[in-house]
Amino acid sequence: MSVIEARHLTRAFPMPAGPVTAVRDVSLSVPPGDFVALCGPSGCGKSTLLHLLGVVDSPSSGTLLFDGQDVAALGDTERSHIRLRKIGFVFQRFFLLPMLSAAENVELPMAEAGIARSTRTDRVRDLLSYVGLSARASHRPSQLSGGEMQRIAIARALANSPRLLLADEPTGELDQATGLQIAALLDRVNADGTALVVVTHDPEFARRARRIVTMRDGGLVGEEAAR
Amino acid sequence: MRALTFAARNLLRQPARAWLGVLGVAAVGALLFDMLLLSNGLVISMEQMLATTGFDIRAGIGGMVPGGGPLIDDAVVLADRLRALPEVADATPVRFADGLLARTPRPLGVRVMGAASAGRPAWTLLRGRDLTGAPNEALVSQRVLDVMKTHIGGTLDIRTFAQGTRTVAPAEHLTIVGVAEFPFESERGTTIGLSLAGVDRVAGGTGAERAEQFLITSADGVEPKAAKAAIERAAPALTAFTNDQLLVRMQQGGLSYFRQISFVLTTVTVGFAFLLVTVLLTVSVNQRLGEIAGLRALGFSKRRAMADVVSEAVLIVGTGAVVALPLGLGLARILDWILKSIPGIPASLHFFVFQPRALVVHLVLFALTAVAAAAYPVRLVATLPIAATLRREVVS
Repeated sequence: MSVIEARHLTRAFPMPAGPVTAVRDVSLSVPPGDFVALCGPSGCGKSTLLHLLGVVDSPSSGTLLFDGQDVAALGDTERSHIRLRKIGFVFQRFFLLPMLSAAENVELPMAEAGIARSTRTDRVRDLLSYVGLSARASHRPSQLSGGEMQRIAIARALANSPRLLLADEPTGELDQATGLQIAALLDRVNADGTALVVVTHDPEFARRARRIVTMRDGGLVGEEAAR
Repeated sequence: MRALTFAARNLLRQPARAWLGVLGVAAVGALLFDMLLLSNGLVISMEQMLATTGFDIRAGIGGMVPGGGPLIDDAVVLADRLRALPEVADATPVRFADGLLARTPRPLGVRVMGAASAGRPAWTLLRGRDLTGAPNEALVSQRVLDVMKTHIGGTLDIRTFAQGTRTVAPAEHLTIVGVAEFPFESERGTTIGLSLAGVDRVAGGTGAERAEQFLITSADGVEPKAAKAAIERAAPALTAFTNDQLLVRMQQGGLSYFRQISFVLTTVTVGFAFLLVTVLLTVSVNQRLGEIAGLRALGFSKRRAMADVVSEAVLIVGTGAVVALPLGLGLARILDWILKSIPGIPASLHFFVFQPRALVVHLVLFALTAVAAAAYPVRLVATLPIAATLRREVVS
């Protein structure tokens, strides 16, 4: 069974001049361990589709199944629970909390999930080691470089061992060398079994995916196996 | 991380703003606390003052609250009759007048209190001896002694105004026999105590023992209400008031203005606190919309995001409300001192009196303010469109 399956998803936004359709009749299935790169020009609906797949937005029509369950039937609490326990999010702008240390930022989703403190402490240590930032555990985001902040954001996204990791332009604010480090880290995350859907403009990054899905004007216009 | 800890860390991101908010709430809270102390302070203080005199009933004629009403003839005889009632322990007839003590370069205004020598004294003797009933004997307050630069055994010449007229009576020659503390005397009060006959003489009368009112103590185990009824049965011309009744009259009269002022200012200060905290939280939430959307995308529930905002309100308002208490008490002392310097205000009267009820009301009002102030920013968080906010953050 797919981790997530979109069937004929459409997302239209009401506008004064008439509704704008950002995602049009998209069907996409992501099996466990898959790595999908969503590509396409700016404004083609990649991020909107990612938000639909991440259960932070609701489609105007169509069906979204997460682990076979129709998320349209779920209330806000259940949707939050899916996001907390089964989906990890990596944002272009990191959204680390500036008043918390790197370790506390990573710990936050686990605390919200009600995981015991001792387990959290061990898991934070492991995750910081995983992303190569053990030495930066007590640093605040303002004391970290862009690449380090994104690695902490990835560690945070992995905190509750999600089945699906969604990344929206994770290298968009980074220089090329740092972007490559992040891409390599995400490769590793996928190799360790987490399904990955990444929105990217970077063709080199996209080629690391198993499948490259191209969008234009809200619809899927092509799919190719990258490796 | 619990919502309260999270909120505290959030607030400390901008410590200057957080502390300014707390200080703003504390300043408003101090005023609110003072208004609550004022709303009942005078009544409580008056109740304590009435109780400390040792008399629990006051009786006069004419159906009015005793004091300044028509004079009661043969007051000493009537006092004996009242004292003979089983419901009454003691009855002291008293009379007041304003007078002038001869002094160079100008006379000293004094309040004259006359009381019968029989019965419980209406004043507290500090030094010397009490009055024997002789018309030329006088007790004086310490301040009179100081201002007149005299001593026990010294003499005073007094003129007073006959009651109800502006006619100055002939001067009377008085001998100071003691120093006393008089009830309801102001901080800078100058009071002298005479016998009833003495007051009548200095007021231009013939030395008759006439009184304005009786200060009465009900017998042990007798309710003041029962004593009042017995007094009015025994002397139908008298109207008696228990201390509780007097307090009710005062609350319905002049003291109600303080309560109304207190109510208006309480409402205004709570309104200020509400607006201050609402503005602070709304600005704070608006600055963090991207972060909040990010946390929601990571799986933080709507309830948790709302709890964070309410916790911030509770922290700002709670800290401010606690800081407000010592600030309010300090401010109350200053305001009390200013108000008590109004001439004629009794030294033992206080406008701001601490009561546990005021503390409870203060804390409840602030708890409600915190919740109300959080309502709008909480609504912002609850209705935050996660995807649209994330998109807007990236675009901006």
